[in-house]
Amino acid sequence: MATPLTINDEDFLKFREFFYRKTGILFEDSKRYFVDKRLLERMAVTASENFRSYFTMLRFQASGEELQTLINTMTVNETYFFREEYQFQCLVNSMLTEIIAHRTTTTPIRIWSVPSSSGEEPYGIAIYLLEYWSQLSDWDVEIISSDIDTSILNRARQGHYSPRAVQYLPATLLNKYFHRDGEYFQINKELRDAVEFTRVNVTDAAEMRLHRYFDVIFCRNLLIYFDDLSRKQTAESFYDALNPGGFICLGHSESMSRISALFRVRKFPEAIVYQKPWGVK
Amino acid sequence: MALTKAALQPTTTDDERQHSRDQAGLLLALADPSSLVRRWAARDLLAYPNASAALVERLLIETEPSVIEVILTTLTRIGDECAVVGLIRCLRTENAMLRNAAIEAMKLLPDEVAPLMGRLLNDADPDVRIFAVDVLESLRHPQVESWLIRVITEDAHLNVCGAAVDLLGEVGSECARPALLALKQRFIDEPYIQFAADLALTRIAAG
Repeated sequence: MATPLTINDEDFLKFREFFYRKTGILFEDSKRYFVDKRLLERMAVTASENFRSYFTMLRFQASGEELQTLINTMTVNETYFFREEYQFQCLVNSMLTEIIAHRTTTTPIRIWSVPSSSGEEPYGIAIYLLEYWSQLSDWDVEIISSDIDTSILNRARQGHYSPRAVQYLPATLLNKYFHRDGEYFQINKELRDAVEFTRVNVTDAAEMRLHRYFDVIFCRNLLIYFDDLSRKQTAESFYDALNPGGFICLGHSESMSRISALFRVRKFPEAIVYQKPWGVK
Repeated sequence: MALTKAALQPTTTDDERQHSRDQAGLLLALADPSSLVRRWAARDLLAYPNASAALVERLLIETEPSVIEVILTTLTRIGDECAVVGLIRCLRTENAMLRNAAIEAMKLLPDEVAPLMGRLLNDADPDVRIFAVDVLESLRHPQVESWLIRVITEDAHLNVCGAAVDLLGEVGSECARPALLALKQRFIDEPYIQFAADLALTRIAAG
C-alpha cells in the first residue's frame, strides 16, 4: 500500500518562501490548510512520490508549466457583476469627467482591471460605460484586464457566468448584454471583443512595463494577499503604469495611504480613490 | 467613438530608451534628468544585487520623492549589508522624509538589521539612537525586548531612554521589570520617565 502524501512544517515553510519569491503572494500560517490541500492535490495529479520530488519539479521544470498550474490553483477567483458598484458610479460621474477635462488630444481613454478573475469586473465596467456614461459617443475607451492565472483568463475570454455571478445585474441589462446558454449566461460577442485580456504578474517589473498609459486602474482585493514590501513595489509599478492625473481604485478594506505616499487621496461623492498627481511624469 | 480593442503597448515617443538595460546602462540611467527614467532604472537594478552601493549614493542626493521610494524598495529587496548600511546613513540626513522612509525600510529587514543594531544603539549621536529605537518599534525580531532593556539600563540620554521605555510598555515582559525599576532610580527627578516606566510596569503586571 502506498504511503499517504503529507506536507510537514518544514515543507510548508520552504514552499511558502518559494511561492512568495515567484508571485509576491504570502500565505500566513492561518492559510496552512488551504495551501496543504492544493499542494497535495497537485502532488497526486503529477504522481509525485513525496513533497521533495514535487518541489524539485516545481523549481527546475524548464517549461514552468507546473508552477503556472499551481499558481492557478492557489489564487482565489470569486466575484460577481457590479461588485462595489459605487466605484463604477464614481468612474462615470467623477473620474472620467476630470480626465477628459484635462485631455488635450483624442487618444483613447485606457482602463485597466487587475486581477481580471473570470471577467466580471472588466465586462461590468464595459456595461457601465455603455449604459451610464453619456460621453462615450465622443471618446474611444480601451479596457484591458489582466490576471496571473492563465486558466481564469481563458474563462474570462469565454464569458460564461452562473446565475450567482449575475444576480445583482438589473434584468434589463442581463437581457441586453447576455444570452442564455443552458443554466449559464454568456456575455455577448461585442463585449467579449471589446476587452483585451493579458497575463501579468504585478510583482514582476518586466511584465508590468508592458502595461502602461492607463487613465484608471481597478485593483480591488488583490493587494490584501501581498506582504508589505510586495504591496509597496506593486503600488510603485502602478504609479508608472498611470498617466499623470490617472486614478486607482482599491477594494473597500484597502488603503493606499498605508502602502505608499506617491498618490493623492481623492474624496469624490461616490468613493475615495487615489490619484497620480497631475503634472508629474 | 466607442469601446475599442486595446493595443497592449501604444506607440509613444517618450518611451524611447536612452540607456541600455545592462547594469552599466541602468547606472547611467539612474542619473538621467527624467524622474521616470530614474525610477525605471532603480526598479530594474534589482536584478543586480551588487548595485546597492550606487543606489545608496543616488538615494543620498535624489530629490524626487517618487524616485526615492523606488530606490528604497529596491534596496529593501536586495537587503544586503551594503543596502542596510546605506539605510543607516539615511538616518543621519537632515531630510526628514528620507529618514522616515529609511526607518520604514529597515523595519522590513529584521534579520539584516539585527547584526547592526548593537552598533546603532551605541551611536554617538542620540538622534540616531532614537531612530534605532523607532526601527525596533515594529521590527519582527526576538531580540527586540533585550535591546530595549539594554537601552534603558545603559543609555545616559533622557530622550533615548524615554523612547525605549514607551516601547517597552507595548512589548515588555516580566524580564523588563528590574530594568524599569532601576531606570526610575536613575532618573528620579524626571516626571516623564517616572510616568512612562510606571505605565510600562502596570501593563506588564496586567499582561
